[in-house]
Amino acid sequence: MKRYNIFYFIGQAISSMCRNGVMTFASIAVLMSLLVVIGGFTMLVVTIDKNLEQFGVLNQIVVFCDKEASEEEIVEIGDTIKKLDNVDSVKRITKAEGLAQMQAESDIYDDVTEENNPLSDSFVITYINNEKVPELDYQIRQIEGIIKVNNRLDLATTIESLKSGVMLIFVWFLAILGVVSVFIIINTIKLSVFARRNEISIMRYVGATGWFISLPFVFEGVIIGLFASATAYLIEWYIYSYIETAVVTEYLQMIEIIPFSEIKFIVLWGFLGIGILTGIIGSCISLGKYLKQ
Amino acid sequence: MIDFVNVKKAYPNGTMALKGVNLHIDDGEFVFIVGHSGAGKTTLMKLLLREEKATSGKLIVGDYDLTNMSNLRVPHYRRELGVVFQDFRLFPKKTVYENVAFAMEVVGTPRKKIARRVPAILNTVNLAGKQDSYPHEISGGEQQRVALARALANNPKVIIADEPTGNIDPKMSLEIMSLLVKINKLGKTVIVVTHEKSLVDYYKQRVVSLRDGYIVEDRVGGMFSEKI
Repeated sequence: MKRYNIFYFIGQAISSMCRNGVMTFASIAVLMSLLVVIGGFTMLVVTIDKNLEQFGVLNQIVVFCDKEASEEEIVEIGDTIKKLDNVDSVKRITKAEGLAQMQAESDIYDDVTEENNPLSDSFVITYINNEKVPELDYQIRQIEGIIKVNNRLDLATTIESLKSGVMLIFVWFLAILGVVSVFIIINTIKLSVFARRNEISIMRYVGATGWFISLPFVFEGVIIGLFASATAYLIEWYIYSYIETAVVTEYLQMIEIIPFSEIKFIVLWGFLGIGILTGIIGSCISLGKYLKQ
Repeated sequence: MIDFVNVKKAYPNGTMALKGVNLHIDDGEFVFIVGHSGAGKTTLMKLLLREEKATSGKLIVGDYDLTNMSNLRVPHYRRELGVVFQDFRLFPKKTVYENVAFAMEVVGTPRKKIARRVPAILNTVNLAGKQDSYPHEISGGEQQRVALARALANNPKVIIADEPTGNIDPKMSLEIMSLLVKINKLGKTVIVVTHEKSLVDYYKQRVVSLRDGYIVEDRVGGMFSEKI
């Protein structure tokens, strides 16, 4: 079994990158921009999601029971709700707990006692699917002993559409920048192939296999991907840290933001993965005909 | 053993480069392929190098049937050949040693074996002492000898030389041809494509003459054909 030295391929790749310095730089710059945008958008989406969770009620319906209902009837109402479709969880809030919550929020309820408590027992229902809420709403209203149903379907739908809109822009950005990056890498590798066309033709005549000819160019793509992802990671880190500081200390304290330390490895591996993969795809596309003999 | 059996080659533009070639070359033979431009010499070379596939007929080189061979086997087939070109095709930024070693590197030969073999081959082609020179520091004849050394590097069974003396002076041409004859005597099959009448007549080897895609003459110990 003949063995090839990996450093031979890496050496060839590096010398080729130096020969086409400008295009190599352009490839790294474009791929790096792509990764920074991907990282930025992903973090934006994650932060929006996290902050929306704070509202905590977007996928919840609150139902109030008849004040005259007995304990057994309330338990039965809870059991009936649990059996409905599209119900994830049901949490009972007794009228005493409801009063305690209100008193904790404001002192104007301090005079209210358990005897003159105007509240009734309620259930907080967490549902699974927004689209089936009207159906669930109808089914809940049919249950005897329920006097009021509060859902925030309109708000949930608006926020869901907002999220979908952001995601749509995100996906288009990714697609366009992805295509541009691959295109630029293809051109860089094509220039390298052109510069080494004599070498390649001699390699073919002396019996080099397609992969032996191609591997230096694939390594070139990988190195471009590595440089681009490492640079993008540092830029993302800097930008994110700046925003994190701004949020924590200055203007946007009501926004909750995930600390970079918690996501740094996800960002790093994600960038490396996308960067290297894009580099390899670019190389393989531009080398297609050299893989045939 | 090389066998062309009624080989035809048509290009996509309609040009019929070979119109039914039958040729048998035994192991260890020395053959000149002669003919004017457009006779089909280059196409015959391209078929032998498996750069092109025959449109019809059968072409067998040793254990390889080139008409049915998959692309994956092509590199392995080419390791059985050594090729020399008119324009040498050396790497200007590699030394003589590196140019020859390159052919061995690409087929994965261990470094130690390369270090042993390259000086021996350079000695065979009378280039001992030139291994650290760059191509621009040596003459055209010497450059062609480097190309010849590279062709020999992987110990091929067949050497194909395409106009090997086209870019060098007559004295050097004789030297290159003498080397090819010497290599042939070592047991290698040597095929030389040329249109240099004086060389063909001088060496009196087998001469295959091509004209308009046909073999018009095939003579052992022959002279440059008048039929072309």
